[in-house]
Amino acid sequence: MEVNERDPVSGRETTGHEWNGIKELDTPVPRGVLLFLIVTHLWAIAWWFLVPAWPLGTTYTRGLLGVDQRQTVEARVVDGQRERAAWMARLEKEPYDAIQADEALMQTVRNTGRQLFGDNCAACHGRDGKGRANYPDLTDDDWLWGGGPQLIEQTMRVGINTRHPESRVGQMPAFGRDEVLDRDQVRSVAAYVYSLSHPDYSTADNLKRIEAGREVFLTTCAACHGEDGKGNRDVGAPNLTDTHWIYGSDLDTIIASVHGGRQGHMPTWDERLTTAEIRTIALYVHDLGTQQP
Amino acid sequence: MPEIFHRKLERSAIGLVIAIIAAASVGGIVEIAPLFTIDETVEEAPDMRMYTPLELAGRNIYVREGCYACHSQMIRTLRDEVERYGPYSLAVESKYDRPMLWGSKRTGPDLARVGGKYSDFWHVAHLTNPRDVVPESNMPAYRWLARTSLKMEDLPLHLAAQKALGVPYTDEMVENAARDAYGQATPDTDFAAGVATRYGDETQVSAFDGVKTDVTEMDALVAYLQILGRLTGAAYENTAAPEGKPNPEG
Amino acid sequence: MIRQLTSSERQNAAVIAIAVAIVGLAMAAVGRTDVLGVHGVMVMLFAGAVLFYVLSGLYQPEPTEDRETSYYDDPIKVGIVLSMAWAVFGMFMGVWVAAQLAWPNLAFDAGWSSFGRLRPTHTTGVIFGFGGNALIATSFHVVQRTSRARLAGQLSPWFVLLGYNLFCLLAVSGYLIGVTQSKEYAEAEWYADIWLVIVWVTYFILYLRTIARRKEPHIYVANWYFMAFILVVAILHIVNNLALPISWGHAKSYTVWPGVQDAMVQWWYGHNAVAFFLTAGFLGMLYYYLPVRAQRPIFSYRLSILSFWGITFFYMWAGSHHLHYTALPHWVQTLGMTFSVMLLVPSWASAGNALLTLNGAWHRVRDDATLRFMMAAAVFYGISTFEGSFLAIRPVNSLSHYTDWTVGHVHAGALGWVALITFGSLYTLVPSLWKRERMYSAALVEVHFWLAIAGTLIYVFAMWNSGIIQGLMWRTYTEEGALAYSFVDSLVAMYPYYIARAFGGLLFLIGAVVGCYNIWMTVRSAPLAAPLNADVPIAPAVAGE
Ligand code: HEC
Ligand code: HEC
Ligand code: HEC
Ligand code: HEM
Ligand code: HEM
Ligand SMILES: [Ca+2]
Ligand SMILES: [Ca+2]
Ligand SMILES: [Cu+2]
Repeated sequence: MEVNERDPVSGRETTGHEWNGIKELDTPVPRGVLLFLIVTHLWAIAWWFLVPAWPLGTTYTRGLLGVDQRQTVEARVVDGQRERAAWMARLEKEPYDAIQADEALMQTVRNTGRQLFGDNCAACHGRDGKGRANYPDLTDDDWLWGGGPQLIEQTMRVGINTRHPESRVGQMPAFGRDEVLDRDQVRSVAAYVYSLSHPDYSTADNLKRIEAGREVFLTTCAACHGEDGKGNRDVGAPNLTDTHWIYGSDLDTIIASVHGGRQGHMPTWDERLTTAEIRTIALYVHDLGTQQP
Repeated sequence: MPEIFHRKLERSAIGLVIAIIAAASVGGIVEIAPLFTIDETVEEAPDMRMYTPLELAGRNIYVREGCYACHSQMIRTLRDEVERYGPYSLAVESKYDRPMLWGSKRTGPDLARVGGKYSDFWHVAHLTNPRDVVPESNMPAYRWLARTSLKMEDLPLHLAAQKALGVPYTDEMVENAARDAYGQATPDTDFAAGVATRYGDETQVSAFDGVKTDVTEMDALVAYLQILGRLTGAAYENTAAPEGKPNPEG
Repeated sequence: MIRQLTSSERQNAAVIAIAVAIVGLAMAAVGRTDVLGVHGVMVMLFAGAVLFYVLSGLYQPEPTEDRETSYYDDPIKVGIVLSMAWAVFGMFMGVWVAAQLAWPNLAFDAGWSSFGRLRPTHTTGVIFGFGGNALIATSFHVVQRTSRARLAGQLSPWFVLLGYNLFCLLAVSGYLIGVTQSKEYAEAEWYADIWLVIVWVTYFILYLRTIARRKEPHIYVANWYFMAFILVVAILHIVNNLALPISWGHAKSYTVWPGVQDAMVQWWYGHNAVAFFLTAGFLGMLYYYLPVRAQRPIFSYRLSILSFWGITFFYMWAGSHHLHYTALPHWVQTLGMTFSVMLLVPSWASAGNALLTLNGAWHRVRDDATLRFMMAAAVFYGISTFEGSFLAIRPVNSLSHYTDWTVGHVHAGALGWVALITFGSLYTLVPSLWKRERMYSAALVEVHFWLAIAGTLIYVFAMWNSGIIQGLMWRTYTEEGALAYSFVDSLVAMYPYYIARAFGGLLFLIGAVVGCYNIWMTVRSAPLAAPLNADVPIAPAVAGE
């Protein structure tokens, strides 16, 4: 039997071994630790009885509470639907003007629409809805397909240029690339279009080119954009005379639009979002700045 | 008494080794082995399809670029996740995933159901420079993807390896892997039809990056992103989540 | 260094280097057009450099007969240097990726420098490069001193150390050129994985044989931990990395585990990499250097037993807490949660054992920054294990998972525990190894200590804040019962914290650089004429024992 040393500081015995100067005290495991051990074990055992816990070959113990995370979340989702039911049902069914007349309900639309718009639409149209290059501004009251809530809802449901059977189809042909117009014509018509929104461009120098472009425009473009260039909602052709542009209002971008065409793709939301959500967003978007009914 | 036992144990290196192995083995065996024996672990999904070669190539790019470091592909059974991202993920949805890409960090949003949410064009713009479309984003720009041609000649090897591990690719699919990858990204060529015959009419055939002539890494990655959440509709059945089923054609 | 090897050992070293070079050549040949070829060339260069070194020293004087009467410290010295080099590299990568999250354009327009590829170079660099080399070096030191025996091999320590670093190089360079399995903390591809198995088995045999030579009847606690670390990491590594390469000529492989089973295997591995790499191994360090520095006996031998077996048994059940609420079946999650909570007891038993060991030495803690490093490490070990058990509770995890809270927890453990205990141990080890009276500058140790503490606290508090804010924003509902914030709203709220974290990390990195300088100057200063006490094995081991 080794004679164990006593540590002067704690008064405890060592275990009698030494490793390169290191010794160990033979202190018993503190009570608290054992207690803590017992408490955590009891807690764990209780838990194993209550919920799914131990595997048994081809099955597992289900637990006395009979819960499973999947049923739990589905119940929570249903709870959520119930919580929202009152206003959701109204948003789902009531006509838009009735909803718009109800300021309290519109506040709900603003509160909830922000997140829905943020998680679904903002990637393209921006968190503020103001769009950016290639994606239209939804706050400027200038619409390809119409800015009333009903029309916005329709646009969201079917999308633009999608494979949805009723998709809105807005196709700006590639006049340059497909050789419908030659280089010069493309430049002229672009100059003309540019002049529509930039009056000071119509200087004496440019007048000839603009005039030539006007000819092309009337024969080629007016079918969609209208003789006055103010656009046409039936084919989703934008107004070319204002300051709102999807792709850009500088001359180069306009040339690119005419040369290569444009077929913006707006996804459908029919399946991803519920009717109430779609209508909430439609009202939210309308509320961003649009006056149109 | 236990100390006496232990004092013996700690005098024997081999004894210690065996004891450590014994103590450390139990947990893993009890938790992992039953995942293969309990049938309900992986749900039934008769409509489940495999990744096309192009999508598989895209998945490998996703792995290579470390997208999983910021994006999860696992919607948890929590109300807010179901309401934000869609029905919670099922085990069957990653049944062909080797490795799985559930992720452990969401610096960016979950991508489990991102397929069909945005246009191909948006994905290309976003991957080219995320801040062009989402100014607040801190996601890296992946410009070189559109400049790099996809390496397709190895794809039969990839499918063969997957097949050897139990993914039900047919010999024909393995053989045509490179052609099918090319076809899926070049809609106007003869190769496009083969993809639909082998992988189903609902497979998205498209010039993903907008260029119809060359098949780039961007094509593959976008093809992969567009199929996320759309290999099977199982998650939409028997769930309280209100959304409709995904339409693989978008 | 080569002088410690006999000429036949030098020849063997050359043969091994040639064999490795041939493997590299084969890889380069079959992997021509594949990235595997790049790694083949790297293996060849690495083995070539070793070969060159060995050959250039082939005819140096041979060691004297009595080399068995001294400890084998050369590999330890090299291990320490490598560890510090990896620390600076890995932490620099950490600061860089942290900065990228705050300023995403801090990448060149190239694949290798984007966040997703750099992040694993950080985790691998710090865990395996810094941590792993420190563990190998200190385990070589501890096992010799506590066994009073020289390492049971002359060549194998070098094989382990250099082979291990070759693995780290293959791993880290692989991520940059796009070679990865994406398995967290096991990203390296199949061929590197196989190489690591060879290295690791050698490590295990070497360790076991050294223990078998011990002159003490009992195996010291530190060695239990090192042994558990080596053994369990081997098991984890092999099971998690089983994969089928698409061909012998390609770097790419597909893991044999699919979907949900792969998820469980990955986190069984991932969690226990934390347990046996970042915890057990470093507890081995703590159990040696802390009592040595404090000059106090371990508080309780019995608590050590409880703690060791508790950790070895319970940890292995806890991995599923990384998969709460996922498509992993509920029952596995319950096991993961309950075992994680039970795990807190042995974890705190270790932390408590360390802190109570300091009773009677608190004046040293006050005066000696080296000991303070270890004291702070034990405190952070206690904090991070408490936090871990807390995060493992399902409802808590529902908030924390996927957020920066996890990252905060990681770095409370990684910076506060792993890095601090390593620095404390190295500051104890370096002077004794190089036969110096003390570190070159105690003031610089003090500076390093405060930089490290400040850096850790800033990092961890920033991530706790951002993580909780993020988690709450994702689940905040409006009065109407609808989600209040979009994802990007939460992203915008993160930026201030990302900047703070990058700053905290920078402080920590500067601390590590100061440490490197201090170690370098210590090594360079003149050795003591006569070593203070005889740091030698008890009795010369008989050759062939
Ligand atoms: C993938 C990008 C993308 C997403 C996401 C997106 N949009 Fe669009 N959206 C577009 C594009 C592109 C257009 C313009 C189409 C065109 O140029 O013909 C458009 C057009 C519209 C229009 C028609 C504008 C007009 O002037 O008539 C509305 C309304 C609209 N989006 C609303 C939404 C809403 C609401 C959401 C979210 C639920 C949404 N968008 C999500 C891309 C997107
Ligand atoms: C078949 C109908 C059609 C014809 C013909 C047509 N356009 Fe268009 N144009 C459209 C549509 C639809 C869009 C919107 C496309 C989009 O947003 O994706 C558009 C968009 C544009 C734009 C981009 C507007 C912006 O906001 O950036 C310009 C410029 C333009 N057209 C000019 C012309 C010119 C010039 C011509 C004749 C040479 C022409 N268009 C002929 C349908 C047409
Ligand atoms: C540094 C982190 C980071 C990395 C790495 C990263 N992302 Fe992202 N990702 C984000 C963030 C943040 C967002 C949200 C903002 C945005 O849309 O850009 C996002 C958004 C996305 C989205 C849109 C999701 C949605 O529903 O709105 C897709 C798709 C995406 N990323 C794909 C990828 C792919 C593919 C990769 C790898 C090639 C990748 N990401 C790498 C951070 C990252
Ligand atoms: C200079 C100090 C450091 C800085 C600035 C830093 C920074 C980072 C950053 C930015 C991330 C990515 C987080 C994310 O994806 O959101 C990360 C991840 C990680 N770091 Fe560090 N780090 C540092 C030191 C360390 C050390 C010393 C270790 C280990 C010993 C470590 C281990 C890890 C691990 C394990 C992860 C992955 C976490 C996860 O996936 O949840 N880090 N670090
Ligand atoms: C009792 C001890 C511990 C327990 C129970 C524990 C538990 C946990 C939990 C619950 C998570 C979060 C998982 C998630 O939601 O994704 C986690 C993550 C992590 N912990 Fe711990 N932890 C413990 C100790 C430690 C220590 C000491 C370290 C040392 C560095 C550490 C390193 C990590 C790492 C690196 C991760 C991130 C994994 C990832 O997602 O990539 N843990 N831990
Ligand atoms: Ca992680
Ligand atoms: Ca690996
Ligand atoms: Cu864990």
